[in-house]
Amino acid sequence: MTGVVARSAESITGALRAVFTAEQVAAGDGFLQQRDPRVTLLSVSGFAIAVMLTRSLSVTVMFGLITAVLAWLSAVPLRRLATRCAVAPFVSALIVFPQVVLLPGDPLVQVFGLAVTDAGVAYVVLFTMRVGVGVALLSLIVMTTKFSSIIAAMRELRIPVTLVWVIAVTYRYLFLFFDELWRLILARNSRTTGRLGSRGGWYDAKQLAGIFLLRTLDCGERVGQGMRARGGDRPPSPYRRSRTIDMYDYTLAALAVIVMVGTVVIRWGL
Amino acid sequence: MGPVIEAQGLSYEYPDGTTAIRNVDTTVERGERVAVVGANGSGKSTLQLALGGLIDPSTGSVRYFGETTDAEAVRERLGVLLQDPDDYLFNATVREDIEYGPAQLGVPRDVAERRVDRLADQLGLLDLLDRPPFRLSGGEKQRAAVASVFAFDPNVLLLDEPFGAVDPQYRERILDLVTDHEGTFLLFTPSLDMVPEVAERVILVGQNGSIVADRSVREVLTDSSLLVENGLRPPAPVEMFEGVLDRDELPLTVSEARRYLLKREQ
Repeated sequence: MTGVVARSAESITGALRAVFTAEQVAAGDGFLQQRDPRVTLLSVSGFAIAVMLTRSLSVTVMFGLITAVLAWLSAVPLRRLATRCAVAPFVSALIVFPQVVLLPGDPLVQVFGLAVTDAGVAYVVLFTMRVGVGVALLSLIVMTTKFSSIIAAMRELRIPVTLVWVIAVTYRYLFLFFDELWRLILARNSRTTGRLGSRGGWYDAKQLAGIFLLRTLDCGERVGQGMRARGGDRPPSPYRRSRTIDMYDYTLAALAVIVMVGTVVIRWGL
Repeated sequence: MGPVIEAQGLSYEYPDGTTAIRNVDTTVERGERVAVVGANGSGKSTLQLALGGLIDPSTGSVRYFGETTDAEAVRERLGVLLQDPDDYLFNATVREDIEYGPAQLGVPRDVAERRVDRLADQLGLLDLLDRPPFRLSGGEKQRAAVASVFAFDPNVLLLDEPFGAVDPQYRERILDLVTDHEGTFLLFTPSLDMVPEVAERVILVGQNGSIVADRSVREVLTDSSLLVENGLRPPAPVEMFEGVLDRDELPLTVSEARRYLLKREQ
C-alpha cells in the first residue's frame, strides 16, 4: 500500500495488532505472572490510579521506576512495553501541546512570536509522563496476566457485571477490529501497484476507511453470532485462575497501599 | 424419540431485500443425522443461523426439544459451528477459545480441561493451544473452531462446512468426531462427497431458498437431474456408474465403488 496515510495505517495496525495478542509473556514465569490475578489487578491498578492523582514530576518518575522494576521482574522486555504504550502518551502530548504557549509562566524561548513558558513545558512533560506511566502499568497487567484471568478476577472481586461485560467485549472487538483492518490492507496491497502521490494516498485512505467501516459492521455481527452460539449472551464467566495468596502477594498489595496513601499525602498535604 | 428441532414457515429476508430462505417447514428427530445441501448462495448458512437461533426469522418459528422457541434457553444443548472460523475465534489464545463455550455454558473447569486436552490431541492442536488464533493457518483455524463447538458437548450439532480448508488427515479426524457424536446433527454443505458417510437423510435447498427435496441419502444423491437443476453435481461414483447400474445399486462412495469393482472382477 502506498501513500503516507495508508502506510501509517498499516504500521499502526501492525503494532496494535501485536499489542492485543502479545500474551505470550503472560504464560511466562515472572513476578507478576506468579501473582494471584486479583492481587495483580488491584495492586497495579492502584499504582496507575496513584500516577493519575499525582502532580509531581519526581513522584511520576518514581512510578516510572516502579513500572520498570515490575517489568524487569516479570521478564517483560522494556522495549516491547514501550512500543505497546507509545501511542497513548504520543496522542496525549499532541492534545496538550498548545499548553506550552497557553500557560502563563517565565518565557523560555520565542517561536513564531509566541512565548514558550516554563510552566507550559512542565505541564506538557508531566501530563505526557503520567499518561505514559499509567498506560504502561495497565499494559503490564494485560501483558503478565491472561485476559480471561483478568475477567475472572473482576467477577471474583464483584465488579459490576455490566462493566466487566463491556471490558470483555471491547477487548475482543478491538482485537478483531485490527485483525480485520490488517486483512483489508493485505487484500489491497495484493492488488495495488505503483506509487501514489499525497492526493492519491488520501483518496486511497478515504476508500479504505469506508470499506473498513462496512466490513467491521458485518464482522461485528458475525462474531456476535459466534459468541452467542457458545453462550455469549450470558455474563462473561471464564474459569477462575486464582492461586493461594502468598507472602509476595501480600507484599505487592501492601506496597500498592503505601504508595497510594503516600501519593495522596503528597498531593493534598494531609 | 421426539423432535429436537421443528421449524414452521421459516423465512428470512436480509435488510437489502434479498430473501435467503423461504417458507421452510422441517422437523429433525432426536438422533437423526441430516445433511442440508444446496448450491452456493442457496441460503444454507442462513437456514443454519435461523435453526440455531442466531437470527430472528422474518416469519415462522423454531421449536427446540418440544419445549421452547427460545434458543438461548437451550443454548448448552445446541452446538452451532459457523461457516467462517474467524467468526468463532476471538480470544487471545486457542485454548481460551476452546474453553470459551464450556465456561459460558457452565461446564465445570476440570471437565472442560479434560475435553480441551482430548480434542486438542485428536485434532492436532496440542502445540497450538497457547498461540493466538490469528496466527494459525486456515486449516488450523477450522480445526480449532470444530474443537470449540465439541468442547461443550452439545446434544444437537449444526455444522456449516466443518471440513472447510482442512487437509485429508484431519478431515478424517473431524469425520470421526462427527460420526462418534451420539446426538443429533445437521451438516450444512455444498459438497456431496462426505454426505453418504455421515448422514441418513438429505434436505436439498433450492436456489430460491426453499426446500425442494427431503428424502433418504440414496434417493437424493442418485437423482442427478434434481441435483443438476439445483446447481449441484452428484458424487463422482454416482456419475461414473450412472447408466451402467440400476439407480438403487449405484455406489455412493469411493469405497462402495471399489467394492463393486472387486466383486465384479471375482
